[in-house]
Amino acid sequence: MAIGVKIMQRPEGQLSYVRATVKGLALTVSHLFQRKVTMQYPEQKETADWKLSDRWRGTHRMLTDEQGRAKCVACGLCPQVCPANCIKLVAGEDEEGNRYPLIYDIDEFRCVFCGYCQEVCPEEAIHVGVDYENAEYQRERFVYDLERLCSQTHPVSTLWDPADPKGE
Amino acid sequence: MAEDQVTLKIEGVDVTVPRGTTVLEAAKRAGILIPHYCYHPGLPVSGVCRMCLVTVEGAPGLQIACATDATDGQVVSVFDSAASDARQAVLEFLLINHPLDCPICDQAGECELQDYVFQEGRARTRYSDYPKRFSPVEDFGGDVLYVPNRCILCTRCIRFMDHVAEESVLNVSERGDRAFIGIHPDAVLDHPWAGNVIDLCPVGSLISKDFLHKAYAWQLDRTPGICTGCSQGCNITIETRDNSIARLRPRTNEDVNRYFMCDHGRFEYRWMNSGDRIEAPLVAGANGLVATDWSQAIARCAEIVKGVSGKAVALVSPRASCESLYLVHQLLKDFELLSACPVEVVEGEQPLPGVPNLALRSERAPNVEGAARLGHGAEYDKALEAVKDAALVFVLDDGYSQFGDDALSGSENLIYLGTSLPDAARNSSVVFPMSNAAEEDGTYVNRDGRVQRYMQAKTAPGMARPAWWITGALLSEIRGTDAPATAGEVFDRMAASESAFAGLSYETLGTQGAFANKASGAGVGCDS
Repeated sequence: MAIGVKIMQRPEGQLSYVRATVKGLALTVSHLFQRKVTMQYPEQKETADWKLSDRWRGTHRMLTDEQGRAKCVACGLCPQVCPANCIKLVAGEDEEGNRYPLIYDIDEFRCVFCGYCQEVCPEEAIHVGVDYENAEYQRERFVYDLERLCSQTHPVSTLWDPADPKGE
Repeated sequence: MAEDQVTLKIEGVDVTVPRGTTVLEAAKRAGILIPHYCYHPGLPVSGVCRMCLVTVEGAPGLQIACATDATDGQVVSVFDSAASDARQAVLEFLLINHPLDCPICDQAGECELQDYVFQEGRARTRYSDYPKRFSPVEDFGGDVLYVPNRCILCTRCIRFMDHVAEESVLNVSERGDRAFIGIHPDAVLDHPWAGNVIDLCPVGSLISKDFLHKAYAWQLDRTPGICTGCSQGCNITIETRDNSIARLRPRTNEDVNRYFMCDHGRFEYRWMNSGDRIEAPLVAGANGLVATDWSQAIARCAEIVKGVSGKAVALVSPRASCESLYLVHQLLKDFELLSACPVEVVEGEQPLPGVPNLALRSERAPNVEGAARLGHGAEYDKALEAVKDAALVFVLDDGYSQFGDDALSGSENLIYLGTSLPDAARNSSVVFPMSNAAEEDGTYVNRDGRVQRYMQAKTAPGMARPAWWITGALLSEIRGTDAPATAGEVFDRMAASESAFAGLSYETLGTQGAFANKASGAGVGCDS
């Protein structure tokens, strides 16, 4: 005994694909005449009317003094304020008796990029950077040591609007 | 009201104090801290810092609370506008030449200048147009560095050296805004108690070379302890960072060390941080010692102890707690026991003249008196001799004495409890890893008979356990008694069975200690 199959009878207009295809193509073609928003990354990283915000908080950078040494005095405020506990700091003393960081490691995986370290730094040494190209081949490379932090060249973040006196 | 009591009102709080008490001390009783720099309860009053200015009703002008006696009916206000303004002005003067180098200053976080400026100082300087006076850092000798820029000339250090250490090597040199703390040109600050000037300094001017750049106040965990440097039993605070002891500082105990500790004791933390440790119980196998777990090691040890009788030798350490020394005795009481502890004696006490009955004692161990009271003798050489024909040798903490490599070689059944494994203990039957004095709770008895508690400041490495726990577990395995769960439980058992500790309880010892019963039975009390 055959199974009874009920065949739905739909109107001709719904069954035809022609109308839907034309509608779709019309949308596609209409985009040809609109302003282009696609950026040719990585060849192109910013356009005239779009760039990364100055307040972008990305991977860190340690600023250096005229002699190329880190400005950090190992005061210990950034590991203290860090909510993710990602900064490892061991203080030492250099030949001139100045306090400086023997070890200064930031685990960028653990970092939540809150920017508190930059905000708290009394020497304006550690900064979060305007940078997002952080790919590495080894996970270990995401722990940035002092040398690496000092050799970064990307711009640093502006945490507040310099024009706004209340910002600081 | 008694004749020798006065009642005064400080910031609206009535407080009754003995006649002769200063307003500053009376305010402390009332729960009000009058800001001060030069005043310190352990030093003579000098009144130079002008920080403790308060308004006393009826008195002309402001008074310095540290040198004003409390009188009956006095009305003192600390935080009224006149006193607050005056103190703010004092702080402003102090900051004229202060380098404000808090980020690199070791005192940051425990600096009274920081605290009071934050509390009642001006928000901004009015002296930014003038260059600050600069003087280089000076090495005072000993453990002390002097940073003149940070100095506020409170003269606490000078008064400590003059009146407490009684070796006048410091003074105020120059005058006016050029003044600084000077040291006699031929002298160094190497008095055995000189390290106290670092603690006394309210700012970061006198700093410790040993502690330099190690940690900030807010990174440290603090635990009350007892100094292990000598038989004086000074109360200390053990300050640890990341499970490692960063420094030891004196803890106030008016009856023992007041506010001070000696430099020898200050550096007694290094052995506590030693990384050379046994981390698991070891039992003798065919090829020497093999690591095992606690239950097997304890079962093996109990088997050995039960299997032999006759002579036993216990070599104990005067650094071991009373609790473990007591349990060792309990464990070996069925044997013909010869027990001894070695005491390192360094000739010549180093007293602190300004405090009665306080010195770096020649017996360089914290629990000599406790060991003696618990029946562990001092004839160490005789005990070492007896090792050869003893049925059982029980060693508690070698850390202190240096055994010769073959000192224990004649012993057949050697039970060894220690922090590290010297060559002499390689022929042990069982080795138990034990915690050191910073890693366990316990009590010490100082040379005057004061029983004092110390607490665990860091965790022990690996599987190491306190000696009282190990001996308690052995005792329970052998006798079937309950194993003690805490040091306090052992102490209370000891107090119940040993007349030398009768009447004491772990709870009532508190943080200041109490006197043990000296055979006759004087009961608990803080005066002997």
